[in-house]
This record gives sequence, structure tokens and C-alpha cells, in this order.
Amino acid sequence: MNATIALILLQDGLTSGLIYGLLALSILLVFLVTRVLWVPAGDFLVLGALTLAVLRQGEVPGTVWILAGLAAVTAIVETWRAWRAGDWRGWPRLIALVVVPSAAAVLATLWLAPQNAPVPVAILLVLALVTPIGFLTYRLVFRPMVDQPTLTLMFVAVAVHYVLTGLGLTAFGSESFRSPPFLPGRLDVGFTRLSYQLLIVLAVSAALMAALGLFFGRTLWGKALRATAMQRFGARLVGIRTESMGALAFTIAALIGAVSGVLIGPMTALYYDSGFLVSLKGFVGTVMAGMASFPLSVLGALLVGLVETGASFYASPFKEAIVFGLLVPFLLWRSAVQIRTRGKGHE
Amino acid sequence: MMKSVAAALVAATAFSAPALAQDIKVGLSGTFSGPNAANGIPYRNAAEVFPKTIAGTGVQWIVVDDATDPTTAVKNARRFVDEDKVDIILGSTSTVTASAMTDVAVEAKTAQIALSPIQIAPAKRPWVFNLPQPVPIMVSAIVEDLKKRKLKSIAFIGYADGWGDLNWNALTAEARKAGIEVTTGERYNRTDTSVTAQVLKVIASSPDAVLVGASGSAAALPQITLKDQGFTGPIYHTHGTVVKAFIDAAGKAGEGALMPTGPVVAAAELPDSNPIKPVSLDFISKYEAKWGKGSASPVAGYAWDAMLLVEAAAKEALKTAKPGTPEFRAALRDALQSGREVAGTNAVYRFTAEDHYGVDERARVLVVVKDGAFRLAK
Amino acid sequence: MSARRLFLAGLVLALALAPLVLPPQFVTALTYIGLNGLVCIGLVLLTGVAGMTSFGQAAFCGVAAYATALLTVGQGWSPLASLPVSVAATALVALALGALTVRLAGHYLVLGTLAWGMAVFFLFGNLPGLGGFNGITGLPAIAIGGVAFTDPRLVHVLVWAAVALAMAMASNLLDSRVGRAMRSLPAEIMAESLGVPTARLRVAVFCIAAILAAVAGWLQAHYVRVVNPSPFGVNASVDYLFMVVIGGTGQLGGALLGSAVFEAIRTALRDVLPHLFGRSGSYEMAAFGILVVLLLNTTGGGMMPYLSRILPKPAPVRAPGSAGPLPRRERAQPGQALLEVRGAVKRFGGLVAVNEVSFEIRTGEILGLIGPNGAGKSTLFDLLTGVQPATAGEIRLEGRRIDGASPRAIAGAGVARTFQHVLLRPEMSVLENAALGAHGRGEAGILRSALRLDRAEEARILFEAQRQLDRVGLGEFAAQAAGHLALGQQRILEIARALASDPKLLLLDEPAAGLRHHEKARLSALLRELRDEGVTILLVEHDMDFVMNLVDRLVVVDFGTKIAEGTPASVRGDPRVIEAYLGGAEA
Repeated sequence: MNATIALILLQDGLTSGLIYGLLALSILLVFLVTRVLWVPAGDFLVLGALTLAVLRQGEVPGTVWILAGLAAVTAIVETWRAWRAGDWRGWPRLIALVVVPSAAAVLATLWLAPQNAPVPVAILLVLALVTPIGFLTYRLVFRPMVDQPTLTLMFVAVAVHYVLTGLGLTAFGSESFRSPPFLPGRLDVGFTRLSYQLLIVLAVSAALMAALGLFFGRTLWGKALRATAMQRFGARLVGIRTESMGALAFTIAALIGAVSGVLIGPMTALYYDSGFLVSLKGFVGTVMAGMASFPLSVLGALLVGLVETGASFYASPFKEAIVFGLLVPFLLWRSAVQIRTRGKGHE
Repeated sequence: MMKSVAAALVAATAFSAPALAQDIKVGLSGTFSGPNAANGIPYRNAAEVFPKTIAGTGVQWIVVDDATDPTTAVKNARRFVDEDKVDIILGSTSTVTASAMTDVAVEAKTAQIALSPIQIAPAKRPWVFNLPQPVPIMVSAIVEDLKKRKLKSIAFIGYADGWGDLNWNALTAEARKAGIEVTTGERYNRTDTSVTAQVLKVIASSPDAVLVGASGSAAALPQITLKDQGFTGPIYHTHGTVVKAFIDAAGKAGEGALMPTGPVVAAAELPDSNPIKPVSLDFISKYEAKWGKGSASPVAGYAWDAMLLVEAAAKEALKTAKPGTPEFRAALRDALQSGREVAGTNAVYRFTAEDHYGVDERARVLVVVKDGAFRLAK
Repeated sequence: MSARRLFLAGLVLALALAPLVLPPQFVTALTYIGLNGLVCIGLVLLTGVAGMTSFGQAAFCGVAAYATALLTVGQGWSPLASLPVSVAATALVALALGALTVRLAGHYLVLGTLAWGMAVFFLFGNLPGLGGFNGITGLPAIAIGGVAFTDPRLVHVLVWAAVALAMAMASNLLDSRVGRAMRSLPAEIMAESLGVPTARLRVAVFCIAAILAAVAGWLQAHYVRVVNPSPFGVNASVDYLFMVVIGGTGQLGGALLGSAVFEAIRTALRDVLPHLFGRSGSYEMAAFGILVVLLLNTTGGGMMPYLSRILPKPAPVRAPGSAGPLPRRERAQPGQALLEVRGAVKRFGGLVAVNEVSFEIRTGEILGLIGPNGAGKSTLFDLLTGVQPATAGEIRLEGRRIDGASPRAIAGAGVARTFQHVLLRPEMSVLENAALGAHGRGEAGILRSALRLDRAEEARILFEAQRQLDRVGLGEFAAQAAGHLALGQQRILEIARALASDPKLLLLDEPAAGLRHHEKARLSALLRELRDEGVTILLVEHDMDFVMNLVDRLVVVDFGTKIAEGTPASVRGDPRVIEAYLGGAEA
């Protein structure tokens, strides 16, 4: 391996690592706020990427029908719940939240898609179509199960992953999609050539992470979200509506997924079922960070990306085994720490 | 919607109605869903244009899905022999699922024509036939082409699955025979988002050519990445890649990609003396009448060939036995391996008791992607 | 024979005879339901009983399947001879993996097993000698004493025999000393304080689940006669989990019900949907996911609870009328120092929660430890029970140091405790909860329990539990679920459970908290009776009235420091107590 190859590998690993890192953020956010292991994170990435690809072919993506159907079902179910509880307070606001953004996204897409919308418009449509799906999933499925054990929530998350993958198959078929690059070509920086796509991924994920940081650090909603993540019960005591926080976390997670999809869409071909492995690698990143810290999770995910690229180069048949094997030394270390802190009393 | 429900009811009653004693029953199990769905669905489509009678006798084509799951494939095979009492089994359409079914076929003394290349153990040869060209025959076309171009080495990048294994094993064996060096063997998954590292490793081993051991549109990722990283030698693919989806996915980077395939792909370009030409043209016209222009593929052609083989054998077997009996099943098997040539769309088949692969060099041509279509490589 | 057992026997007989009457494809389906059910029994033990879960069960099936394939095809072993080796190999892997992850929080086990499932799939496909992704073919059929199991109907009988055996052993296990300990695992602090070695037991349950998966893998390998990686990937493990979730993780029956329902749903979706929508392969996955979500949304506990309502009830566990005694501890003479606390200090960072506290408890007395809220009582209690280590100082039980020992070691030394927030297994019966207390006095292990060789000891444990229930006045409720008791009764049940361990010292953590007046009176009377019978009691309490009329001596702490010690009368008059406690409370 020479320096040229090393630099290309580094780029490749960083790109995958950043994508895993973005998903790791969404996974951790959802986990900390709602205790749900966000298995479908990768499905949102796939939805984003495939929707963009179809939009750029000038066609109406199947995402429109997924969103429309989901919004309709949610509206009906929420109405039924309100009727059964005999409590109509909050119902108009909720229905507006459910219906308006979804309807707007669907109608805008139906109108703009056949006109071959310019790239920025297409991207906005993708975000507008995919983000509400996260919110609706929470309202429809997870909110009523808030008090269920973590294990049940995890099973539901896996089932939701099945549903999204299955819907992806009906909406997009079993073939792969790839969007045309936003900026083809590479930038020559002397010692190596950087693909513009990588620079875009770097810039956007840095911007997204900074925005999230600001959101958590500076805004009231962000602080409330952090408080919920740290101490659910305490957050409730100080008057934070943890349910709204759950909805917010799912919405942000879906947005992150959609953005990652837009980023990765032009770099590789994706299938309706590509999301699962990407999710899992995001998970490996968050677990390596102890499922606690956002910046460390991103670092963990970057490490996963780099190790994966390295393993692909040196021993490609074993690369998955190597990537998932990364967890073994980590778990050993956690176990050792656990035993040591337990054992301290004996000194 | 109502129409399809009605059709479904009709179909359901057709399946459940007691079979008339004289009907020939053929069980077709395929990968119509699951990871290998893209490769399985053409078989189901082809089955819809199969003839309803053979030599005046009715035929029931019992078509079931195994979801690319070997366990389900075995269940289907059991259902065929135990419940439907079929006269012959076709399937399955992936290597793993087809292999899984062989034990049932052998135990039930019912012939099975595998619709995906499998390895037939000698003990199973009496009942198991292999229809698609075995991978080594296809790969040998690539190795011959290398020799013709006076190239000395080839690298491999393929799926980390059974298909990748088959092509890798064939390549190493055929290349050794021809004195060609295999520089490296890299693997990736269909859903991987990047193969840059593997491609760099391939390029670093400085081969004269590359074989991509993948299938369908997922074969486009190495093709694009190889071009992207500046590889200029010939890039070969497997016959599983001869589908429109590959051309769509690879776009401009796909131009010049070479692959061995059944002659049906370039039927119109074949010389009139080739017995495959009329059969292929007949198949294409019937298939495309139902499924639209450009829908015919070598994969659907395999289904057609299986039908042709069953038809030819059944004509013989009907002379000596009644369908639904062990005698008929044995007669069908004997007719299949009688050594008579049957021209299909992908090959001229000639099975004997010793050879259950039954195809020769006539079963393959080398095609190249040119202007977004598969053309005979000259 | 109870109605339940009759029903089960009938079910087993019907299944055994099924191949004679059912069309073959049903036999195939039933065989797979049995194979999957075997794996699911392990998952119920793991998930429903012990509160852990695993995404690696299919990988365990795979280890055994590949092991037997290598041994039979490669080495020419008979399948029967390869069974113990294949199962042992799987158990070893599970042991290593379990040791690595079970000490960690639940999510690490989930992700650890997920990673293991992913990695092992690719290892099967790529390790040399395993036949790549096309696997190994030509496995022989199982042969027992010259009978080859090639006929699917024979395999069916074999599989269901294995299922029946596994069910019997698993239900024996659950109805035993070890089984109760396993069921206590989700409440780790409680389990440890009852002397249950939780980490070791978790690993053991993990291994049991893996062994059941291994047997299923071995059976399947010789039934299908090919081995390849695809049935052993993570997707298959997820399927197994869905089966137990659908069936219900709370009862063993859920394993089989889930396996059957899963098979039915899958088959129905595959056969019905294509007719509805005109093409297949697109809607099944989404429809399946929606069904699971609906099911989990409406019944968190799966379908088994519904089925249980129709089925004959299992006979409740009852104590025998008489049984031999359990081992008892030696006791010191009344009046001698039993527990000595010397200069105990606990610091959290800069905060001193317990500051140089010293006192002693004498055999046969009731000592009250009181103080206002935030005085450090709970921390002191944690030091005594080993939940937290002391920063400095010594705690001795009969002269032997116990400061820094684990809760389990302290329990083993003869100190039993109750909890401020009641910790019971609400779904277990009152009797079984009490019997948990006697865990440390028995020794029957997993194998003995599964084979029902533990009955003599079990009778003694249940007899002792019933005796303690009678002693505290809960005898008549023995067969009820503990969760159905009123709070006051639950506290008393905790005391009965503690007594069942034959403790030298009983530590009660705010036993009167949340109790109504008459409940307090009853508790007070019970504690006095126990003292008269020679039980030594330390109780931490802030309810002054409750304590004053009950205890022999009092230790008063405030701001982590002991401010007074003596009889209730002398403490009541102590100006510092009045100021710190009463004064502080009223000011």
C-alpha cells in the first residue's frame, strides 16, 4: 500500500464513517429520549436517497404514497383515540400537525416532480417528504407504548424496520437507485484528489452537527430534549412534556436520516433493503461510545468507517466479521471496568 | 382490483380442483421474493406463457415461491412430491435453494431440473439435472477471450455469497488450466455502499483484466468504481449480469463491459444455421407479447428451455406410462437422459445417464455492452 | 393427574400421531414449528424469565449445524455421536460470549449478540473448509439403533420428542430453587441480597438457551441434510425473537404458540396476499411488520395469556404437610455484640454522607436507627448491606469484617434485609417469593432441578417458606400472586422471605413507610413477637411514633453523624435530638 492508495482509502473510510456518524447521532438521540433502539435509522437514509433518485429522474417517488397513507392512518387513529377518551383538547392542533406538513409535501411533490425540479428544490422535497414519516411513526406506534419495557420497544422498532423496508420494496422495486452527482469530479489539492462529493458530505455533516450542537446547547427545546435524555422522570417533574420530546426526537432523527440519504444517494447505488447494515454500523459506533455521548458516537462511527475500509482492502471476505468483531474488545473493556468498580469495595 | 381478486379465485380453484388423472403435473419452485427475487421473477412470468397441453395431454404448472430460503424450498419440494404428486420438479432458481431440494427429489424418485447452476453429487445424478450452463463453461469463455487478447492475468471481485463462490472457484480452476494468473480475489455485499477499497486492492495487484463475480444492477458498483479509479483493461462480468438493470445502473461507465451469456440474448445476430436461433425468436415473440417489448432475458429463456425439455421428454414418456405414476416419473427421467438433442434458447441440450449438465460451447456467446444494449462481441 | 397435565399429555399424543392422519405438508410445517419452538423455549427462559435477550440464537443453531456437518460429512461420524460434541461446542461459545456481556446493561447484550450473529454469518461463508456460501451437502440422516430417520414422519416424531423433553425439563427447572432464582434475575439487587449469584446464573441461562438452539440446529441439519449460512443469519434470529414476542415471553407455552402462529402468518401472507394484490413478493414484509406492531400494541404480553384463560390452569405450587428441616445457623448468646460499626465513613466526592458513625447491635434486641430526612440513614443502610462500600471504618459481624463485602456475601453471612420500595416478583406466588429467601439454604443445581432429582430438598424449602408465612400471618395467601397483596402485606411478605433465610440479623429499611395506621400496628406487633422468639432486628425508620413504642434501643443520626444513642426514653429527652430531629421537623 502506498501513500496514494492510503489517501484514497482514508477518504473512502471517512465518507462512510461520516454517514454512519450521522445515523449514530439519530440512533443515540432517539435512544436517550425514548429508550427505543432506533433500528430503522438506515431505512430513513434509504428512503431519502431513493426519493431523491426518483425525483431527479423527473418522476413522482413512491414516498408520496407512503407519507400520504401514514398521515391518513395517523389522523384516523388519533381521532379514534380522542373519541374513545372523550378528550378533544389538543385534537385540532394534533391533526393540523399530522395533516398539514404531510399534505403540503405530498402536493408540492406531485406538482413539482414531473417538471424536473432543480436540485435544491428536489432536496427540499426529499426532506419535506421523509421528515414527517419520523413524527408520524412516533405518534402512531411508539407514543402509545411509552410505558412498555425497553425490550418490547425494541421489538416494535424491528417490526417498524420490516414495515419500512417492505414499503420501500413496493414503492421502489427490487432494483437499485443512484442519483446523479451534485458536483461531478475531483478537486486536485496537490498530494491527492478529493472528490467534491466527499467535500459536500464533510461540509454538510459538520454543519448539521454544529446545528444540532447549537440546538441542544442554546435553545429551550434543545435543552428540554437534553434534560429528558438525562433524566426522564426529573424532566417530567420540571414540567417538560416528555411526549413532545419523543416526537421531536423522532422528527429530528428522520431529518438526519433524510439528509444522510441525500448525501449518500449520488455516491453509491442503494437498494430498498440497504438500510439495515448501515444502521447496524451506526449502532456499533454508538455502543463504542457507551451509548451516552454524541461527539464520541460520531468518533466511534468514524472509526467503524475507517476499519471497514481497511478491512475491505486487506481482507474483504472477512470485513463484516471484522467490523462487528470491533465490539468484542470494547465489550471486554466495559466488562473489565464494571468488574473493577464492583470490586473496589474489597480493597 | 376486483378483477385480480376474481382471477385469484379462479387460480385458487384451479389449484385445488382434483386433478384429472391424465394431467401431467410439473412443480416449479422459484425465488420470486427475497434477495434473489430479481433473478426468480422472470421464471414465474415465463410460466404464464407455457403451453397448457403436451401432445394432447393437459399440463398443470404448479408455481410456488420459496422466498430465496432453502428451508422453504425444501418445504415446497416436499409439498410437490407428497401432496401434489408431481411428475417432475423444476427449480429452484438460486443455487442454494436448488441444492436444498435435491434430497427430496432423489428420495421421491422424481426428476428435478435445477434452474440455477448446482453441483450434482454422483449419488444424486440419477434424478437431478442441471439446466443453466454450469459456471465453469461460462467462465471458460472469459478465459478463452483472455487468451485471444493475449492477456496474462485477471483479478476477481465478487459477492460474498454462493454466486461469488461459484465464479471464484471456476475462475481459479479455468485460469490455472490456461496458465493465466489470478492476482487477487476480493469480496463485497450486494447492499454495500462502497467497494473503493476492494477496487484499489484489485488495481494494486496490476491485473490485465478483471472479472466481477456479481449479478444484476449490483454488478454496476465495481464496474463504475473500476472506471472511476482509472482501470483501463477489459472488465468481464458473469452471465447473471446480462440484465437491463445493469445497463441502467452502470450508465456510461458500463460501456464495454463483457459477459458470457446464452445465445438468446443476441438471437437476431446469430447465423441462420444456428438451431438456437428459431427457438429463441419464437420464445421472444411469445414472451414479449405478454410482458412487453424488451422484457425477454436469458433468465426467462431458462424457464422456456425447462419447458421445452419437459415437453420433449413427456412426449416420449406418454408412450409408455400414465402421468401421476412412478412408472411415468421414471420414463420421464429416462427420456430426459436419452441422449437426444433438444434445442433451447440458451443451449442445445443433450443429457445422458453420465452427463446431467448436457451443454457445450454452443451454450454461450460473449456479449459486450454497446450503446446501452448487449451486442455480440466480435 | 391435574387437568393441565392431562391436557398436555393429550397434546403430546396428538402431535405424535399427527403424521399418520395429516397430509404431508402439514407434517413438514409441524416439524418446523417444533424445531423453531425448541429455540424459542430457550428464548423464553432468556427473555421472559431472566430478562435478557439475544439476537444470536440462529447463530448458535448454526454452530451446532456446522459442527455436526463437519464431523459427519468430513470425519464420517454418526449423527448421534456428533450430537454431544456439537452441543458442547455451542455451549462453549455461549459461555465465552455470555461471560463477556452479561455483566453489562441489557443493551450491550442485545448489541453484542447482534454483532456475534452478523460476524458468524460471514465466518460461516468465508472460513476455509466450510464450503463457502453454498455450504456443506450430503449430511446423513439421523440413525438410532439401526432406524434411519429419512422418512419426514419419523423426523417429526423425533423433533417433537425433543420438544416434549425440553418443555418438561424447562418447566421442572422453573419450578425449583434455581428456577425461582432465575425468575428473580430481572431484579438484580433483590436477587443478590437473597444470595443469588446473578452473574453466574445469567451466563448459565444464556448457555441453556444456546444449548436448546444447538439441539434444534443439529436436528435441522440432519433433516434438511444441507448446511449453509443463510438460515443462521441475523434475520433468522430476529424471526425467533418475533416468535416468542408473538407467543408471549412470560410462559413456556408461548414458545410453541409463537412458533406455530408465526408459521401460520408467514404461510398465510405468502399464499393470500399475492391473490389479493395480483403479484407476490412485495407486500409480505410490510404486512408482517404491521401485524407484529398491532399485536405488540394491543397485547404487550403476546398471545399466550389469552390462550391460558381457556386452558386448564396449572396447579399452584403448594408446600408439603411436613418435611425435614433445612440447615440452620449457629447463634450467639443473647446480649452479646452481633454487629459492630466502628468509625464508618462514606464520602461522595466532597460530600460526607456518613461521618465516623459507631454503634453496635446485640443479639436478641430491636435497634432503631432514626434521623430526619437526609440524615444519612439510607447510606448507612447501604453500607451495612454491602450495596455501597464504606470509604473508611470497620463493620464486623460476630467479629468478622463485612465492610466492603458484596451484598451476596453479607446475605451469606446471615444478614437478611427488606427494601424501602418493596421488591418482590409480583407474578410469582406468595409461597414462591418466600421460598426465594431460603435460596442460600439449598444447593440443588440446574441439572438436578431439570431432572426432578431435587424434590426432597424442594419439599424442605417450601415447607420452611410456608412455616415463615404462617409465622407472619400470611399462610392463607400462599397460592396467590404476590402482586395481588396489599402494600402492608407485601412488606410482611418481604419479612417472611427474609426469615426464610434463617438470618442472624434482620435489617428492615423503613418498613412502616406508606403503611396505614392499622397496618403499622400489625407490623409492630409482628416485630415484637419475632423479638420475643429471639430474632435480632435493626430497623431504619423516620416514623418516630412507630419506633418509640417498639425498639429496645435507638441510634439517632443527623447530617451523617451519630448524635445520640440509648433507650427510647433517654433519647426522647435528649436536647440535641429534640433540636435536630423534632425541632428541625417542626420548624
